[in-house]
Amino acid sequence: MSQHSPSPAALTEATRAVDSNEHGITKKGLSAGSVGLIGAIVIGISCIAPAYTLTAALGPTVSEVGTQVPAIILLGFIPMLLVAFGYRELNRRMPDSGTSFTWATRAFGPWIGWMAGWGLVAATILVLSNLAGIAVDFLFLAISQIVGNPEIAGIAANPFVNVAVCLLFMLGATMISYRDMRTTQKLQYWLVGFQVLVLVVFSGAALIEVANGNAFDATPIELSWFNPFAVSDFSALAAGLSLSIFIFWGWDVTLTMNEETKGAEKTPGRAATLSVLIIVSLYLLISVSLISFAGVGDGEFGLGNPDIQDNVFFALAGPVLGPLAILVSLAVLTSSASSLQSTFVSPARTLLAMGHYGALPPKFAQVSPRFFTPGYATIVSAVVASVFYAVMRFVSENVLWDTITALGMMICFYYGITAFAAVWFFRKTWFRTVREFFFTLLFPLVGGVILSVLFVTTLVDSMDPDYGSGSNIGGVGLVFILGMVVLLTGVVIMFWQAITRPAFFRGEVLSRAVAD
Amino acid sequence: MTASGILVGYTANAAGADALAVASRLAAAADAPLEVVMVLPSEAGNSSVPADAGYERHLRAQSREWLAQASGHLGADVASKLHLRYAESFAEGLIAAAHEFDARLIVIGTARGGLLGRTRIGSVANELLHSSDVPVLLAPSGSRELPASQGITRITAAVGTRPGADALLESSIRLARATSAPLRLLSLVPIDLPAGLDADLAALTSSVHAEEVLDEARQALPDGIEATVETATGETIEDAVRALDWHQGELVLVGSSRLAAPRHLFLGSTAAKMLRELPAPMIVVPRTTLT
Repeated sequence: MSQHSPSPAALTEATRAVDSNEHGITKKGLSAGSVGLIGAIVIGISCIAPAYTLTAALGPTVSEVGTQVPAIILLGFIPMLLVAFGYRELNRRMPDSGTSFTWATRAFGPWIGWMAGWGLVAATILVLSNLAGIAVDFLFLAISQIVGNPEIAGIAANPFVNVAVCLLFMLGATMISYRDMRTTQKLQYWLVGFQVLVLVVFSGAALIEVANGNAFDATPIELSWFNPFAVSDFSALAAGLSLSIFIFWGWDVTLTMNEETKGAEKTPGRAATLSVLIIVSLYLLISVSLISFAGVGDGEFGLGNPDIQDNVFFALAGPVLGPLAILVSLAVLTSSASSLQSTFVSPARTLLAMGHYGALPPKFAQVSPRFFTPGYATIVSAVVASVFYAVMRFVSENVLWDTITALGMMICFYYGITAFAAVWFFRKTWFRTVREFFFTLLFPLVGGVILSVLFVTTLVDSMDPDYGSGSNIGGVGLVFILGMVVLLTGVVIMFWQAITRPAFFRGEVLSRAVAD
Repeated sequence: MTASGILVGYTANAAGADALAVASRLAAAADAPLEVVMVLPSEAGNSSVPADAGYERHLRAQSREWLAQASGHLGADVASKLHLRYAESFAEGLIAAAHEFDARLIVIGTARGGLLGRTRIGSVANELLHSSDVPVLLAPSGSRELPASQGITRITAAVGTRPGADALLESSIRLARATSAPLRLLSLVPIDLPAGLDADLAALTSSVHAEEVLDEARQALPDGIEATVETATGETIEDAVRALDWHQGELVLVGSSRLAAPRHLFLGSTAAKMLRELPAPMIVVPRTTLT
């Protein structure tokens, strides 16, 4: 970030005397600590948090595309991958903690840049509240499984208890993030290994039950499940895809993680490839086995049952695994917990960059002198996520579901802008090499177009009061209202900042740039 | 102790300002160079949060700015160098830096939030006191209020009969010499006894014992060094510390615990209790190897 610092501290004798040259820092800082292949895969998987992601997204996806979930998972990965290539190029060229915000500002100017930053912050705050909400459900489920009293799991449905426990979770997560308390590598390996193992056991058990004829609604596996063209209409396909964007969200970090490591050019690529292979196989395995076990009908345990769709593992762990169901609760809990920190980091760092460049009050740029974390921005993110969750819990009939759908929309929004920013920023170098043609023009352009189409389609469709979970206010779908409120709030705050802090919006801080 | 540099573990907060103030006062008095070090978290072993080159760079720029600002508060008569280092923990980074610069003393601030303005040992100090093989100075909260012109007005060595006393005495003498400050030998023997000992017996043996210890210590003093002696009295260590007089510009040296590994620090319970009451900076000196 110092590269384009708005008010670089006068380079005094003292600053110059700081004896850490760039080389020394690289040697002692980043690369000395760079993680190896396995470490990178573990971080990638823990950021994606497959157990949490699937329990939250599987139901809503089934409600859109029925049995074609595997097809959507495979298809949804394509735009993600295409955009991630653009993301990687930008990160290589302008590494900056503001990521999408900074890149879009440099490519398209302050207004679009500001909204891209807003989209990223909004999306991560939405996912934080959803993550905490899922964790609350599973906490009560785990307790009820341990003491053998199924009624305890129902306590999570009480909105007051739910919100109170959720706020406690948030408080804990905020403290961990603020103090930058890190799990040891070993523990993280165990947590991720445990998560993957439980998911495999869960799927295996579901398939065995199907084979033994004990399944709830045994549905024979068909090849058409993998055929996206079998989805009824384009709206459903778009909605399903925007959900599947969400399930791969976080994977892109593995692409950019090890960039600065010398002599390990291949590690990030390999880690990204391997982690995505693991994730995709896991997703396919679980979706196929659960659909085959429970069907997509709206019976008690059917994946089409709106009552269980916002959190399917919660409902299916018991019928599939019996006494071992506790394992699923623990896997989702550890999955949420281990991804919380990496999730917290991203809005906080973007807010920090926005404060640093004068797009938000300078307070946001504060770094905790003791823990070296973006302290103020972390706390603001936590407070907003908590308030958001508390309000939604009372407004929505199905808070988890609606937040996930709105989240998919937000991700499409800011990822789309980021993809176009990559295309535009590299406009002078598109045809320099074949590689640049693909990675800075074709891939991000196609990815960006797909995401824009998904964004617009989801936005339009979500006006329908029956969209998603069916929550609505005054006959307008809650997801639409949610998306619009979030975006328009961003516009309002942007104008307010433009009045109080005009320098950034005049392009005096972060000027437009183009790669050459 | 002061032939080599004094290393300050700096953080851009009140504790860091305390540490810097005490260190620069000591450096000025002893004419020793200051090595001001900020330790940034390294990504080694990190497996929770993806590393971000942009954020790393921002932290580095911010830390440089902090260091530059801090150096502005240093008097012109102190030779100082500023450093950024990466380590998995603050304490680890400081110990490594102390070895790198061959520093003879690490100075850190103490966490605020002790009851009634008393000093509390924070997690950093705790880790440092358990693992450092270099003496550690804990600057009490509020040290930054003292002007640098205060200097070092007295060195107090809290001697006992326990292993470590020799190293402690040696360090105290060297420090007193370097800072030209008077030396005071303080016996904690009367209160530094095993718990459960009969009170009367303890009082009797200890007062006799204290005299002996102090005499011994005094005789061990090299020519040219004079020392006053004092025996701490009181029901508890806290009482005893409160009953003694303390200068504002005083430095107190204590030996590390018997439980500490040779040449490493470990703050014993006596020293920990002293620290809570002491208004002056305290230096914990590792005991020497017994071999």
